[in-house]
Amino acid sequence: MIIKNYKTLESTNLEAKELAQKGADPWTIVVAKEQTGGYGRKKSVWSSPKGGLYFSIILPKSNIDDLQTLTILAAFICAKTIKENSNLEPFIKLPNDVWVNGKKLAGILTENIIGRDVKTSVIGIGLNTNIKKFPKDLENIATSLKIELGREVDNQKILGQIIKGLEEQLRTISE
Amino acid sequence: MQTTIKIDNKVYRIEISETEGDLLKVKVNDKEHFFAKKELSEPSFTDFYAKDLNRETKEDGIIFRERVEKEIKSPLAGTISSIGVKVGETLRPGKKVATLIAMKMENEIVSEGYGKIKEVKVKANQSVNSGDTLIVLE
Repeated sequence: MIIKNYKTLESTNLEAKELAQKGADPWTIVVAKEQTGGYGRKKSVWSSPKGGLYFSIILPKSNIDDLQTLTILAAFICAKTIKENSNLEPFIKLPNDVWVNGKKLAGILTENIIGRDVKTSVIGIGLNTNIKKFPKDLENIATSLKIELGREVDNQKILGQIIKGLEEQLRTISE
Repeated sequence: MQTTIKIDNKVYRIEISETEGDLLKVKVNDKEHFFAKKELSEPSFTDFYAKDLNRETKEDGIIFRERVEKEIKSPLAGTISSIGVKVGETLRPGKKVATLIAMKMENEIVSEGYGKIKEVKVKANQSVNSGDTLIVLE
């Protein structure tokens, strides 16, 4: 497993896709402290200021059904990790968002490149961890662990827990 | 690999890279040329932008016999969110042709071979089934 840390990226998914196409190994993980063009499904904007946890994983070549399952499981793993690190009660909004107290806390986007078969897959996760405040247009729909808990969390620890969970789940569903 | 050469005071920017499969791409300034590496003992030049790829393939008999696509089909059922190509455009391996939202994921559909687009059979926001033809090639 290789973790590539960046100060700023346009998008960790874009970087991971590019690295994958250049031959980077599966389980290469791209982490950015902030994204200038973070996006979700249908290219919706994912606000990604410093403090949050933004990362993408190049997945091993997998069956498309397994990738779909993994995307949904990733939301479950995020929710489980949040629960293990706090007293919050996360709610999974299918297919791939995690909410807390009626506001969005995390989003997951899996992107595949497909020819006759799956060429490349990356799964990107944006988790609002240590974000102090959201802009006016987002403060009623987005939240962070810092806002909810009143304290900061350990981004590295949470990253490790989510990666471990994803690895275990992919192994299980691929078998 | 990138290099620059100068012939008769004209500078050529040359970039050599491997494409998917067994082809070698040689880019001279902005024009791309492809060589088959494995199928011939000596690399054989072919002009990717030749007007009639199929005919050229037949004449050459070797290089693109299996690489000229006739159509590109949807690998999954889902909704086309965008089309990245238009009629008349020439495809090459790895060229993105459409984005398909399917199974909770965003999927870039890419060409696996070469061909010139004759017809684009789908529009943005259209639902497709697995196996539906998206692009017809000449």
